Order: sequence, then C-alpha cells, then structure tokens
Amino acid sequence: MKRIFQIVSPVVLLTSCAFGQSLDPATRELIQSLLVRIDGLERRVAELEQEKTAPQASPATLPNPAPRSAAALEQPAPQPGHDHDQAPVPEAAQPSYPLLKITGFSDLNFAANDSHVPVTGFSQQTYLQSHSGFAEGQFALHFSSALSSKVSVFGELTLTARPDAGTGSPAAPGFNAEVERIIVRYDLNDYFKLSFGRYHTPINYWNTAFHHGAWLQTTISRPEMTQFGGSFIPVHFVGALAEGAIPAGGLNLNYDFGVGNGRGQVISRDGDFGDVNNNRAWLVNAFVKPDALFGLQAGGSVYRDKLNPLGGPVAREWIRSAHIVWNRETPEFIGEFADVTHEPVFGGVTSHSQAFYTQFAYRLPFNAKKWKPYYRFEYMHIPFSDTIFKSVPSFNASTAGVRYDITNFAAFKFEYRHYDIRKVPEFNGFFAQTSFTF
Amino acid sequence: MRNKKSIPSRRTLLAGLCFGISRSFAAGQSDIAVVVRPDVPVDNLSFADLRRVLMGDRQFWASNLKVTLLVRGPGARERDVLLKSVYQMSEAQFRQYWIAKVFRAEAASGPRIIYSNEMAIELAEAVPGAVACVDAGEVPKGLKVLKINGTLPGEKAYPLR
Repeated sequence: MKRIFQIVSPVVLLTSCAFGQSLDPATRELIQSLLVRIDGLERRVAELEQEKTAPQASPATLPNPAPRSAAALEQPAPQPGHDHDQAPVPEAAQPSYPLLKITGFSDLNFAANDSHVPVTGFSQQTYLQSHSGFAEGQFALHFSSALSSKVSVFGELTLTARPDAGTGSPAAPGFNAEVERIIVRYDLNDYFKLSFGRYHTPINYWNTAFHHGAWLQTTISRPEMTQFGGSFIPVHFVGALAEGAIPAGGLNLNYDFGVGNGRGQVISRDGDFGDVNNNRAWLVNAFVKPDALFGLQAGGSVYRDKLNPLGGPVAREWIRSAHIVWNRETPEFIGEFADVTHEPVFGGVTSHSQAFYTQFAYRLPFNAKKWKPYYRFEYMHIPFSDTIFKSVPSFNASTAGVRYDITNFAAFKFEYRHYDIRKVPEFNGFFAQTSFTF
Repeated sequence: MRNKKSIPSRRTLLAGLCFGISRSFAAGQSDIAVVVRPDVPVDNLSFADLRRVLMGDRQFWASNLKVTLLVRGPGARERDVLLKSVYQMSEAQFRQYWIAKVFRAEAASGPRIIYSNEMAIELAEAVPGAVACVDAGEVPKGLKVLKINGTLPGEKAYPLR
C-alpha cells in the first residue's frame, strides 16, 4: 500500500504542477513508466483475486479467460441488473448461440365495485368480479433467444388463475397455462423481416405495444376493445408475418403484412390447432414515426377474415383501425379507434361495431417523478344486429388513476372507474395493483 | 491487518486523477464520439439516423453486418449525454424502453452495458458492427469516428456534448 502511494504521489504532484504548461518529454516518460508499473500491479492484483475466486465458481459459469486491459480491470464490478443491462463478458466478441434470456412479469390486484347485478361480457382481466377481493394477475415469462445474428426466437408463457378452479370432474386446475406468443424471426435487414408463429395480432397499437406484463402499461388493465380473452378484435394470430421499416424521408414507415389462421369457432380464440375454414385471414398494418416529431406514432390497419362462429352466422369480417400515440411521458397520449364489420355470407344484415379509447397520462416533474396520474375514456358500441358479438358489452367507461413507480422495476397503481353499460345500472369500481418485472 | 480490497480503489482513484488531469489540459471537456470499426460501411449519420441506431430501430449497418450497441453504465457522462440529447429519457424510462422493446420482440436483446471507455473501445474493436459512444479524447487510432450531421467531435455544430 505504502509502495503504491510512493509510486503514485509523484505522478499526482507532477501532473498537478503541469497545469497551464505543456509536459516536457522527460516528465511524460516518467508518467508513462509509472503508469506501466501501475498496470503491472493491477494485473497482479487481478490475477490474485481471480485465483481466490475461481474455485468457488462452477465450471458452467466460468467465463473463458480473455485478455483485458488493466484499465478495464480497474473498473468496479458490474452490479447485477435486469437482463437488458447486460454486462459484457470476456467472450462477448464471439457470442455463442443460442443466447437465451428470460424475463418475468406479474401483478397482484385488489378490486371492488358497487354493481348490484353481475357484470357479464367483460374479460376476467378487467377485474369486474361480483365480489370484492384480491386477485392474482397473470404470471408471465418472456423468453428471447438469438439463434444467430439474424435468427431469433421469442416466446411468452402465462399462468392465469381460473375462476372455476377445483370444480368439475376431473377438477379444474388452479391455473391455465398458455403459450401466448411463440415467434421465430429471420431478419434479412431492417427493411424485411420474416417470422412465423403465434402473435399478438398487429392490428392496433396497444395489442403490440403492451403484452402480458401489466407493469409495462400505465394503467391496471387494458382497454376492453383489446383485452385478453375479449372478442372485439382477434388478440392472437397464428401464421406468418413480414415486417420492416423504411426511412421514407424521415417518416420512418413501418409495415406488417400477415397471413394466418383466423378466429376459431369461439371467436375470442385463434386457430392454434388449425383454421376453421379454408380461408386464411390476412392483415396489413402500417404506421409512421416521424423524425421531426420524436415520440409521435400514427398508423392504421386492415384485417380480413371469414368467420364460422359457434351459434352465429358464417360471415366475412373486416376490421379497420387507426391509432395516434405520443409516447413520451410528459405527456403520454394514446388514442385508438376500430370498426368491425360483419357481413353474413348467406344473407342478413351487415353490422358495424365500433370502439375507441383515449388515454392521457403525465409523469410529474422534479421530486414527484415517481408519480404518473392518468385518465382514460373508452367506448364500445355493438349494434343489436351484430349477432356474432352478442356477448360483447356496449358501454362507456371513465378511468382515473395514478401510477407510482416504487423502483425502476415495480409499481403501484390505483384506479377509480365509472361504468355505464347498456341495460345495466351505472356503477363504480376501485382497483389497486402492484406490478413488477423480474 | 491490511485490507486488500482497499488497494484497488485507492489506486484507481489516484490513477484516475492522473489520467483526468493529463486529459483535462489536453482536451478540456471532450465531446462524445461515436466510434465503430473501420469495416463498418458508414462514415456519416444524421442525428435522426443516430437516434434510430441507438434506439434499436435501425439494427443493420448492411445486410451482412448487424449493429451491436455498447452503452456506458449508469452514472457515466457518456450515458448522461446520450440520455439527454438522443434518447430524451430518464434513467428509469431508458430501462423500461429496452425491457419493452425486447418484450415486443423488436430486438433480441438490449444494449451491452459497458463500465469504462477502455472497455467500450476494446469491445468496439473486437465485435463486428459494434458502436460505442466514448469520450472523444480517448479514441484510439484503430477505430473510426462517425460524423454526426457531417460534423466531428470538437466542431461547433457537433450535437453530442
């Protein structure tokens, strides 16, 4: 220790005295020689520390020794963080594939409302149960793995608590396991990427921006028009997708073109096992993110399918949607609209069902940065003529709440909601959630 | 008993002081240089292009050369400059942005976090397609400094400072 100070002190003095004047060659040479000596000592310390720690690590976790400069070795050890904070390992220059990374998301909820009649037609994830109480949210695991520099696999698995757990014969299990997404993608370049799998259908913004991790979204639950388990838009899609981004003179035009199985006979389900008819569904989605307005995204989609629903007429389905998003947090704005047209094939009334929502949020400044108040208005209208959507509710709702970020990876959310549902007395609800990623 | 752990930290401080002082009168508060290997087929990026690269929206330099992002760890000046001028995000927003981007399957992984300019330079030299943002005073000869909006670090209109 004393020796190191003996070595370093002259350097400090020399360099301090050198303010305002240039270094003469002899001083520079001295500094260089001292630095080389420091480097040598650092290497020795690193070697000793490595020898000390090596027997404790299992062979599988030991990085391959690779030459690193003394300057690199002198840096503090990387703090363990979320897996997107990947500290470089010595073999980073030659990555070995597959490179699997797993991220978890989950949430716990409390819900209470003053409705005196059962509220039907809403997704379980909207938490409009008949009784107040706590509810386990989805436990979601996200897998991403690079198979090469151009091929990647993404997967998303959820476990969802069942309301009918323990009933029936054999007794229903406590949780449903579901492969929400499994995608293998080939990236030719930025302009063209081809993938196959089960997706969240890219026909509106929310469905592809926020998946099963409630922590990622500002609010406790998704808008009903894009809710998991809901029927208004097909949330999932099995097939193939071509996507890419084109600079387009600063507009940054992004596109998706997909072909796949359409909705199942239960229209809230997709065709995982196969299509219900010989007509593939297809979709086109395009949006721009202009350079000049950093944070803005605007776009629209078209989706086409032929439905063979249980208890409903065979019909052609057109979905047209549009969105505009300002995705900075000061403020945050999301607005979406979708029109779903059902044209019965064998005669009948063509119906148009519509839904939209607008959401505002604002990350408070200065010492209140952890707080983010928000408001959402949503509206859904299903005409009586739309027999395919006969179980989908017509309603409007206001949601006012606040999100408090406990850490960078966990949040509390508190919401008040007011529902006005067709043929149901208006009611209010209070909701709380803690959501996190790990 | 001597505390061995204290040796590297004091030594680091002193060595850092030496480096810092010698750098300070050589270059002042340096700009942040965007460096790549010489084989990257790009010499100049507009600021919007740079933002696309650093936000993971542009993932290829060319069809056969993928971008690997190297970003300094929290607390480093290089990271602060990028967060303020390019990402326009707080530290928390930056983390959430990358978690969401990977979760949306738009990128297989986030940027590699680097804990020193020396480490950034080492990896930028070693990893094909790697791009790092380092103190302009510490760029070695073996790396190419990209022009941003046609300007190099030290020039008046250079945006990363």
